[in-house]
Amino acid sequence: MRNISLVFGRVVRPISVALVLLLAVSSLQAQDAKEGETIFKANCSSCHKVFGKFLGPELAGVSERHDEAWLLKWIHNAPAMIASGDPAALELDAQFPSAAMTAFPQLQEGQIKSILAYIKSEEEKKAAGDAAGGATGGNGGAAAAASGDANNFMIIGLVAVIVLAFAVILVLNRVIRTLERVIATNKELIPEPEATETPGKDYLGKLKKLAKNKKLVFFAVLMVAVFLGSAGWKTLWNVGVHEGYKPVQPIKFSHQLHAGVNQIECQYCHGGAFKSKNASIPSANVCMNCHKAITASDKYDGELSPEIAKIYRALDYDPETMEYGPNQRPIEWVRIHNLPDFAYFNHSQHVVVAGVECQTCHGPIETMAEVYQYSPLTMSWCIDCHKKTEVNHEGNAYYDQLIAAHEKLKKGEKVTAAMLGGLECGKCHY
Amino acid sequence: MNKIKLLSAVGTAVAIAVVAASCGDQTTRSTGWEFSRNMYDPIGYNPDQPNANFKDGKTAQIPPAGTTPVGFERFPYSASNEDYERAGVELVNPLVHTAENLEQGKALYQVYCAVCHGPEGHGDGSITKDRTLEAESRQLENFPPPPSYARSDSINSSRGGRMADLTDGKIYHTITYGLNMMGSHASQLSPEERWKVVMYVRELQKN
Repeated sequence: MRNISLVFGRVVRPISVALVLLLAVSSLQAQDAKEGETIFKANCSSCHKVFGKFLGPELAGVSERHDEAWLLKWIHNAPAMIASGDPAALELDAQFPSAAMTAFPQLQEGQIKSILAYIKSEEEKKAAGDAAGGATGGNGGAAAAASGDANNFMIIGLVAVIVLAFAVILVLNRVIRTLERVIATNKELIPEPEATETPGKDYLGKLKKLAKNKKLVFFAVLMVAVFLGSAGWKTLWNVGVHEGYKPVQPIKFSHQLHAGVNQIECQYCHGGAFKSKNASIPSANVCMNCHKAITASDKYDGELSPEIAKIYRALDYDPETMEYGPNQRPIEWVRIHNLPDFAYFNHSQHVVVAGVECQTCHGPIETMAEVYQYSPLTMSWCIDCHKKTEVNHEGNAYYDQLIAAHEKLKKGEKVTAAMLGGLECGKCHY
Repeated sequence: MNKIKLLSAVGTAVAIAVVAASCGDQTTRSTGWEFSRNMYDPIGYNPDQPNANFKDGKTAQIPPAGTTPVGFERFPYSASNEDYERAGVELVNPLVHTAENLEQGKALYQVYCAVCHGPEGHGDGSITKDRTLEAESRQLENFPPPPSYARSDSINSSRGGRMADLTDGKIYHTITYGLNMMGSHASQLSPEERWKVVMYVRELQKN
């Protein structure tokens, strides 16, 4: 017995020491990886991803491809290494002609090692995830198949119910016809039932009584007239008014996400509001300023978001090679605000000169997951605002000229049409 | 007794009407009734309208090859690294350094650049930070942060040299063509506006 415990003790001691050491090392590594993650996100993520090619090469497995001393030197000052003619550096540079590796002289050796530790830890995480995913992946597939089956099942079920309903109607029709025939043949045999007051008939009688109540009938007619009148009035006044119009758009673009959460300025995309009549719908290259990097894959199990995929399709963009193809076509957004052609409206005049906020007319756009027309855009709506709005004429040459003309009038001097812009070409040749 | 019944019937009818009227969020998928639609639709084509007169069905056409639209300024440098360096040496901001130009440059920077580069140019714009879409309680993906321009951060450019030492021409070239994750902003900023932004970025470099 003593022997066994002795042997046991001998075996356990080194194992426990090893375990403690291992734990210490792994927690140290975890700490390194954490520091590395911060450094990676701040300095490397604009060009590199751990998994998959981005602007630069994939970083998973980088420690196997190059030894640590080389990597330290490379990350510290890649341009100098290329200049010195290091063969591995030259090869890498040739593989990515459109992007150059930045020099990071500010990073300490320890910090670069933390980045490498972070890449390693991500590789391990993925390997563990893949092993686990192999088991659950099958289940996921089965679940997906099951949901597909459920859809099919529902469609088949619905068709069956409709067919069954038709069958029931047919059968009932038959039954009614046969019963009618039976009644017709047996009419003489069956004695006429005594005219007794059934509850149903009583109900009818009550209704008749109510119909004789003049007050009630008058009230009912009045109600119907008021209802129809108000509904008709409202409908007629709203002919051509699209307030609350929220059409289905080709891409489920959310202003709540982009303008609200991301705090992207309205004019980043609708720059036309500064410069022209139209606020302008951005061309897809503006989308790509962000969506070259942002794929929302976390929401779709690592796959590209189907909505962002629509931008890529419109631009014939291949996210693998990051190149645009020749088969580009426009995204056909549905216009929401349709001002009649006989009314002139200019965005720049309102946004730049008057300094009106977008929200004044477009409502709380930064909270709209789906955009709708907030204002009625009727003539009375325009006029109401123009009646209330005070003109800020400070530093506005147009109003300076107007005020100067008024001063002249007060002094009794002559004011010509030319002074009020009467010689502008557009006054006649528009 | 009859009166009470009558009143209760009226009450119920009004209540139903009120409930029915307050249903929904007052938005609709349809434009509703329209009268004389042809008075509303433009006779000319809006740039974003389909147009059967052109082969590709679009109203907004790209100018034919070899033509220059009125008022369009050509940028005689390509997107290559050599031309970037050349622009960096040859180009200087044609705008006069005035408070007004700088103010406009700042305003343009806040709209078109700050969302990634941050309000002070430290590369900490709103979309590079952690944010949550409350409606779906979803953590949104961060845009990879661009390098800081500020001298105090002393960050290098991927095309060599300090970010704080980038010259007018290099910044203008980058806004025009984009670099790495940054796309071209030439469609959003006119040449003059780009120079105003360059003027403001040069100020941010001093931080």
